[in-house]
Amino acid sequence: MNKWFKSGAPWIWLSAAGVSISLISVLGLLWLIASRGLSYFWPSQLYQFDVLDKNGVKSVVIGEIYDREEIPVSQLAHLNLVLPPEQEVLERLLIKTGNRELVSLDFRWLLSHYIQKTETPKDLVVVERRTNGNFYGYIDSVVVDGKVVDSNQLTTLLARVENFQQQIDDLQKSDIGAINYQLERLRLKTRKYQLQNKLTASVQAEIDSEVVSLNQRYAKLEQELMGYREEISRDHLVMRAMDGQLVPINLEYILKVTFNNKLNFFEKLSTFFSQIGSFIIEDPREANTEGGVFPAIFGTVLMVLLMTVIVSPLGVIAAIYLHEYAGKNAFTSFLRIAVINLAGVPSIVYGVFGLGFFVYMVGGSLDQLFYSENLPSPTFGTPGVLWSSLTLAILTLPVVIVSTEEGLSRIPSEMRYGSLALGATKAETLWRIILPIASPAIMTGIILAIARAAGEVAPLMLVGVVKMAPNLPLDGNFPFLHLDRKFMHLGFHIYDVGFQSPNVEAARPLVFATALLLVSIIVALNMTAVSIRNRLREKYKMLEH
Amino acid sequence: MISISPKVLATGSDPLIKSPLDLNNLPPEQVALDIKQLNLFYGKKQALNNITMSIPKGQVTAFIGPSGCGKSTLLRCINRMNDLVDDCHISGEINLNGHNIYNKHVDVAELRRKVGMVFQRPNPFPKTIYENVVYGLRIMGENNRRRLNDAAEQSLRSAALWNEVKDRLHESALGLSGGQQQRLVIARAIAIQPEVLLLDEPTSALDPISTLVIEELINDLKKQFTVVIVTHNMQQAARVSDQTAFMYMGDLIEYSDTNTLFTTPLKKKTEDYITGRYG
Repeated sequence: MNKWFKSGAPWIWLSAAGVSISLISVLGLLWLIASRGLSYFWPSQLYQFDVLDKNGVKSVVIGEIYDREEIPVSQLAHLNLVLPPEQEVLERLLIKTGNRELVSLDFRWLLSHYIQKTETPKDLVVVERRTNGNFYGYIDSVVVDGKVVDSNQLTTLLARVENFQQQIDDLQKSDIGAINYQLERLRLKTRKYQLQNKLTASVQAEIDSEVVSLNQRYAKLEQELMGYREEISRDHLVMRAMDGQLVPINLEYILKVTFNNKLNFFEKLSTFFSQIGSFIIEDPREANTEGGVFPAIFGTVLMVLLMTVIVSPLGVIAAIYLHEYAGKNAFTSFLRIAVINLAGVPSIVYGVFGLGFFVYMVGGSLDQLFYSENLPSPTFGTPGVLWSSLTLAILTLPVVIVSTEEGLSRIPSEMRYGSLALGATKAETLWRIILPIASPAIMTGIILAIARAAGEVAPLMLVGVVKMAPNLPLDGNFPFLHLDRKFMHLGFHIYDVGFQSPNVEAARPLVFATALLLVSIIVALNMTAVSIRNRLREKYKMLEH
Repeated sequence: MISISPKVLATGSDPLIKSPLDLNNLPPEQVALDIKQLNLFYGKKQALNNITMSIPKGQVTAFIGPSGCGKSTLLRCINRMNDLVDDCHISGEINLNGHNIYNKHVDVAELRRKVGMVFQRPNPFPKTIYENVVYGLRIMGENNRRRLNDAAEQSLRSAALWNEVKDRLHESALGLSGGQQQRLVIARAIAIQPEVLLLDEPTSALDPISTLVIEELINDLKKQFTVVIVTHNMQQAARVSDQTAFMYMGDLIEYSDTNTLFTTPLKKKTEDYITGRYG
């Protein structure tokens, strides 16, 4: 035994155990998120239950089985159920029944004891809608312009509506959006001239004529829009709900009609992937509990990229000063310790700092100086994507400084001497020799910074993230990149959907799906940076002395 | 480089052709470097004691001595690389073309262009062979492609490396062998046409064959440059140099032409060292 200890074998086992635990927890985390998140997109079986409840009332329940749990019979004593004495637990099903216009709740619990018959009829459909969530039931009829037609035409009719919807979206977002944007700019222009007392009659007339022409274009577009609206709301789908009620649904609100029970495996697979696709590219609906997360993806990536652009030069310059130019004395070591300690400050503190300094002080002064025409409504003096990036840049600065300095100190002095001996100045040596060799270390710093920043939520809630941003920070209106706009973020989206949403139960799979997406995006960003670093390493690899 | 015997016997001054220089009374036009009363301190510790010597133009001068005697320190004074050492103080002067390089108006980068240096371990930059050679020229602002190409070819030829690398000029310099790298570093140093070339134990990290190639190269280089070499290898000093200076504990003990120093040293310490009694 003693010999075994001396051989070092126990320590090898111990360290191997440490590695396994880390590996298992990482894989377990990914597996949990992936399985819960991805199952959300898999088209689930639709059931019809014939129910006979304790009062002897018969009813029909249609929906998806969302969850099952077993509860002890003792807890159900008040129901006075007649059960075989040896039975201790009863199964309870959570059914998603949708049909929000008929019942106020999307979900209902059902004791399996009351279920008399379970069926999966082939012609049950689930209708995905723009508002009011899913509708479960049977197709009763399709009504085109007041006349009942064959329900086979539904697909074509839906495609027609989809086409008009696309045109409406284009009109609203690009054309009408651009006109509104220009009108707002003209209003600000007028206000600016007023403030400067330069608003002469000729200027006013010029602006007025522009406003008039814009308004004319607006009216024309609006008419076009109304036309589309009329077209789109022409047809109806009449659905028969579980209690036999007939419910007309305007096609305008229908996204998709799926016969889940008719799908074979491959059709389910293709539905699965198309659902994932629309989750990624679509805008959220219904207070973020449905639809996609594209604005959040866009916001997260844009904010991280902006942060990287800000933090990299800043961190590298600071590290160069600390390592190359600052005197080697107590003050420098104090500075270095201070920088390292900054990495340990809780992120919410940076959020408070960002709000106080960037948003109110810097942003407020910018508004006073350059955007006074818009006051009292702030332009930069309010949380926005620029301030978020800056706050996170400050937050990740220590990481970049520390790894850059590390890289600088690993470069053999012969490299410096070789360059200096050829008549290069210190600055030339830094620029041409030292920085290229240190670039892999700089990239390491940037990778760590990205990893830290992309997952940070707390400070962002103070300096720019919102639940629902009406516009992306990047669009077709000059100056294209709107740094003053608020944005959506996947991390905050998880929090919002999971804990702030009106329908937590429905949103739970979305939380996992969004988490999976966030992890994938961070991994993708990191992999890009790692591959850049590996290429740089290959290029500037040092001699193995 | 076909003949073998002259190289081994005396590549230095051949007494039959020209008589040894009188190192104490060199005519000014023959002086490359004039060192006067040079003292150097690392903090409070004195590393060079009152060194005075003249290094003749177009010849190879070797510094020998045991480890820690100050020979490398003295060499690094000549292109002011000691400026990079914290806590290093220097008094006295070193004159290059009659101007003291320790004058406070001297541009150190400019000085280092005139006094090139090659280090103990090969230190090519992690760039291509070509970019290594033209580095000094690029620093000087030369960007003309043709002039750079010409200079690169010429320096690589002078460094006896051209034939080995001409087909892979744009590959990484780190792929070369140690001896090739050291010749590349020499080519890099001579590409900017310095007046003086300082070699700090240039072969101590190399194998015997590469050493031989470099020694032959040094012999060629003195036609164009004044060469100062530090070596711990006495045979090498005897083979390659015209003048030899023996240093011990920061003092210049003896300085004369190589033949004299190795055959009839004047000082007891020199004799002890070259006969291998210490060091």
